Order: sequence, then C-alpha cells, then structure tokens
Amino acid sequence: MARVSARHPRRWLLRAVVAIVLAQWLIGPVIVARADEPQPDPAGIATGDKGITSDAGGTAFVVTEPTDKTSPDYAKNKQAFDEYQAQAAKEPLALKLADNVGHLRISTNFSWTLLTGYLVLFMQAGFALLTCGLVRKKNAGHLMMLNFAAYVFAFLAYYVCGFAFQFGAAAINAAPANLGGTPTLNHFLIGSGSWGFLGGRGFFLSGPAYDAGSMCLTLFEVVFMETAGYIIVGAICERITFGAFLLCELFVGAILYPMFGCWVWGGGWLSQLGNTMGLGHGYVDFAGSTVVHAVGGFCAMALAVILGPRIGKYGRDGKPHAFPAHNLVYVVTGTFILLFGWMGFNPGSTLGASDLRISVVAVNTNLAAVAGAASAMFLWHYMFGKPDVTMACNGMLAGLVAITAPCAFVSPNSAVIIGLIAGILVDLGVLFNERVIKVDDPCGAISVHGYCGWFGAVSVGIFADGTYGAGWNGVGAASYLGKAGQGVTGLLHGDFSQFIMQLGGATLCAIYAFGFTYIVFSAVNAVKSMRVSKEVELEGLDVPEFGLPAYPEDEIVNAA
Amino acid sequence: MKRVEAIIKPSKLDEVKDALHALGVTGLTVSEVKGFGRQKGHTEMYRGTEYTVDFLPKLMIVVVVVDDLVEPVVKSIADSARTGKIGDGKIFVSSLDDVMRIRTGERGRDAI
Repeated sequence: MARVSARHPRRWLLRAVVAIVLAQWLIGPVIVARADEPQPDPAGIATGDKGITSDAGGTAFVVTEPTDKTSPDYAKNKQAFDEYQAQAAKEPLALKLADNVGHLRISTNFSWTLLTGYLVLFMQAGFALLTCGLVRKKNAGHLMMLNFAAYVFAFLAYYVCGFAFQFGAAAINAAPANLGGTPTLNHFLIGSGSWGFLGGRGFFLSGPAYDAGSMCLTLFEVVFMETAGYIIVGAICERITFGAFLLCELFVGAILYPMFGCWVWGGGWLSQLGNTMGLGHGYVDFAGSTVVHAVGGFCAMALAVILGPRIGKYGRDGKPHAFPAHNLVYVVTGTFILLFGWMGFNPGSTLGASDLRISVVAVNTNLAAVAGAASAMFLWHYMFGKPDVTMACNGMLAGLVAITAPCAFVSPNSAVIIGLIAGILVDLGVLFNERVIKVDDPCGAISVHGYCGWFGAVSVGIFADGTYGAGWNGVGAASYLGKAGQGVTGLLHGDFSQFIMQLGGATLCAIYAFGFTYIVFSAVNAVKSMRVSKEVELEGLDVPEFGLPAYPEDEIVNAA
Repeated sequence: MKRVEAIIKPSKLDEVKDALHALGVTGLTVSEVKGFGRQKGHTEMYRGTEYTVDFLPKLMIVVVVVDDLVEPVVKSIADSARTGKIGDGKIFVSSLDDVMRIRTGERGRDAI
C-alpha cells in the first residue's frame, strides 16, 4: 500500500493543498490592516486623486499645509498654502478635474505596468526555447517540464510569502508613487526604519495586499521573480531530479529572491545606505541586474557545484567534452523572444508611463543587446576561427543582463560600451567555468546572468551620468553634489561613493545568493541525492522521469 | 540478377536518381546511413570545446537490376555521384538469388 501511494503522490498533494487552504484561512484574518492604518482599496476607486497631480517637473498641484512653524520657509509656504486654499474655494470644479487627472495618471501607469508585466511573462517562453535548444535531444522533454513547472511552483511560493517578504514594507522607504504608493504595505518583519531586512505585510496576498495598487505591483514583480527562477534551469538541467528541482523553485520564490529584493527594492537596508552611511544614492539596481539575474546566476552556480558535471562532460584527464546544442532554431528564436520580453523588463521598471524616461530605457536596452552580441561574436571568431551561434546568443543576453541595472541612468553611448564589455565578459566567463573551475553549465546561465549581472550593477557606479533619478532612494531630492535635479551619478561623472556602493552591493549579492543556496542545498543533497541515477542520465531524462520522449517519432513506437 | 548498393553524398541523390531514370531503372530504395571510410571524421568547436564527428551522414541507394544492365548502372551512378574529392562513396555489386513482388506473387526477373 505504501508503495502504491509513493508511486501515485495524490495523497501527498491533497495534504499540501489542504494545508495551504487552512493556513490561508487561519493566518489571513490576523494580518489585516488595523483600523488606525491606511486601508486597502481592492476596487481601485480611491487610488489616485488630486494629491498626485503635478507638472512635468514634479511640482505638486495640491499645496499642503506647512506644519513646522520653526522652518525658515514657513511664512512663504503658509502664504502659498493660503493662496491655494482661496483659489480652490473659488474653483471647486478644478479640484474635481484634478481628482480625475490624478486617477487617470494612475490608470495610465497601471496599463503600462501590467502590459510590460505581460511582456516579461512571455520571456518564460523564450527561456524554455533557449534552454531546450541548447541541450541534447534526449533531454528536451525534461527541459520543457522544468521550465513549465518553474512558473507554476515559484508563483505559488511567491503568493504564499515571497511577495510579503519582498514588498511587505515597501511604503516605508520605497513607496511606488506611480501606482498610488501602496500605503498598506508598511511593516518590516525583521528590522525597522532604514534597516529593514524582510517585509511583513501581504502574506497570501490577503488583507493589506488585497489592494488594486498592490496587485498591480504583484503582477509585475512575480514575473521578475519567475525570471530568476528560470535562470537556474540552464545550469542544473540534464541531471537534476524533478523533486529536487521543485524544491529549488520553492526556495527561490519563497525566500532567496524576495529577501535580496526587499533589501534593494522593498525599502530595505541596502537601498538606504545613501541616507544612513552617505554612500551615493544607496544601492541602485534599476531593473534587476543583481536582484533578478545575479541572484539567479549565482544560485545556479551553487546548485551546479553541488550537482557536479554531467556524465562524460569531463574525461579522465579532466579535459572538457562538448555536448552540442540539439536545435539552434530554438536557441535563436528563444533569444529573440527574450529580447522582446526585455522591452517590458527594463522600461516597465519605471512602474509607470508617466515617467517619460521609458524611451531612453528602451533604446539603451536594445543598444546593449546588439553591442553584446557583436562583441561576443567577434571575440569568439578571433579566438576560435568561427562565430558560434550559441555564444552570439549568450552575448546578446549578456548585454541585456548588464544594461538592466544601469539602463535608466546612462546615455546611449555608455549603453553600447556596457554591452560590448558584457559580450567579452560572457565569452571569457563560459571558458572560465568550463576550463578553469570546471563547473558544468549547459546553457551558460552562470556566465550570462551571474557574472554579467554583477558587472551591470557595478557599471551603474561607473557610467551613471546624473540626468535621471533625482531623489532616488530618498537621497538628494532637493539637490545632489551641489546641483538641483542631479540624479544617480557614477565614477566617471564625479560620485566615487556610488561606485563603492555598487561594487560592495553587487559583490554582496553574489556571495549571498551562492552562499545561501550552497548551505541549504548541501543539506538537502546530504539527506537525499538531488541527482538522477547514472542509468537515467545516460538514457536521457525524458522517459524515466516523465514517461514521454519529446520527439516520439524518433523512436520505434508500437501502437498496440 | 544483381544487387547494386551505392554509398553516396546526400547532395548527389537527385543527380543519381535522374541518371538511373534515364537508363530505365524502375525502382530505387534510399536509406540515410552514417559511417566513415578514408575521409574519416572531422573536428568542430562547440562553445570553446572541440568535438569530433566520427560518422558522417551519407545515403545508401539500393537498385536491383538484370545482369546486362549492371555495367551501365554502375557507370552512371559513379559518373553522377562523383565530385572528385575524398568522401564520394563506394558501389558494391552482389548477386541476388530471388525477388518477389508481394502484390502479384511474381518471381525472379518479372518481379524487378
């Protein structure tokens, strides 16, 4: 009987579902917003009013009453407030219109954020094609199932606690003003003020998170988390058991990704180091070179080290052997889908179309992609005599990964330089992994996402030109480096402290993702091996693990 | 009756087929095969690591003909499949005991 239930894990599944429903029912009501706190707005009716209408320079339409009577500007501010009050009393219609303008501004930003989120969602198809094309035919079905299941299970983990850990305290230091500020997400589970380590509101997306603005943020952020979840597939495929893989995905979606995400995007301590320690604008990662890609890349590296290389990858003499890609059509198609999805990934990270920097972001993103592909292709041609298609694709992705952090803060020329360097870095990274440290990475995920992600975040500290990001992370809203409107600035434009911050933050990210994963999954691997048996690996994982080859016509099938 | 088996380059199939047609050969069987001869394999690079292709893809065509057609068939296959470079393939001729057409039950020469 026990054998039967082990082979048909329906009971186990049922128990898990019951546990989740029960936990939701028990914990859900405990974490509602208290009466004296901002209340969630599930219908979105009250999100966005005249309070957020402003001119293009960001000057608010509504003048708020000054409270600090000792301030030197008090008399001036009070007069402005009185004039505004008098004007408002004379023109009540203007106020109603302003309310509507504010609501429309949020609507525009919602549309933008949701649509770019859908583009990022489509990147999952790109990852599936890319990684499937890069492996051997006998494992194509295995790759498809990993990519498919990654989306499903990491999403559920993010729903249960990932979102709460990452953004549960967003309103404290990192309120997404473009989406209405999500005022109900206002509690750190660990830490407080400028030293937050883990958010604590919005478990099961219930209570305070059951809010239109908060849900818009959730949709956009969950697909980012999924991207980190997909990255690891490229380095651990062709040898990991399905069960162990699901555990990896739950780990990424529930804690590994959200915790670092909280530090950088959820108003956590890394983002506040500009205020607390005077390090530039704090740690700046616009769309996730480190938060998404380096976390995924270095997590993948730790898992690949634990799993070890595929059978036959290294000969007795330690020389690497090649396992050529089985379908280059998938590889190139997948890469282009990823490029297309990246048009949501980076420009969407403004969380609103009311921020017109989106056009610069989009162009920079594309420029770095083509520059990365070009330099990777030419360097490979120079080293080995032929441009390798798969490495050219890795080069394009390397450029994209590297520009993800700096895309909003740099000029198009800098974007090209960043892309060119990333293309070189990815080539050298692949060779370094394969020949020097001998970590088997079938799809180059560690080099593309890990190394180039690290470089991307550092490049913010080098190339940021100060034209964008005034007041980023609460630093220098009035003026920075003695100039009003000066934004995030890098080494080449006079802010050395930002460079130090970026270098330290990106390196911390690499150590965090590698170390945390290595500790957790070394323990898991000690309990039960995460690797399939030798026979299964040699046969290909499709049939032993999932019961169906990806290309059944290749095998002689007896219909009876 | 003889059986003529020829290993040829895949790109030469059309020319060989047309040449045999011109001779009045009515049937032909083709299979995709892999192997090596004097040409051996070749070495390629994938993501910075060398790999060798030991078995090269070729086509094997099988034709069954009456004895007096053997010489013209062998000659026309050789002429149409030749590029003059290493790897053009080989032709094997062997004698054949019997043939049967499954539909009608005809035997021997009539079944070719």
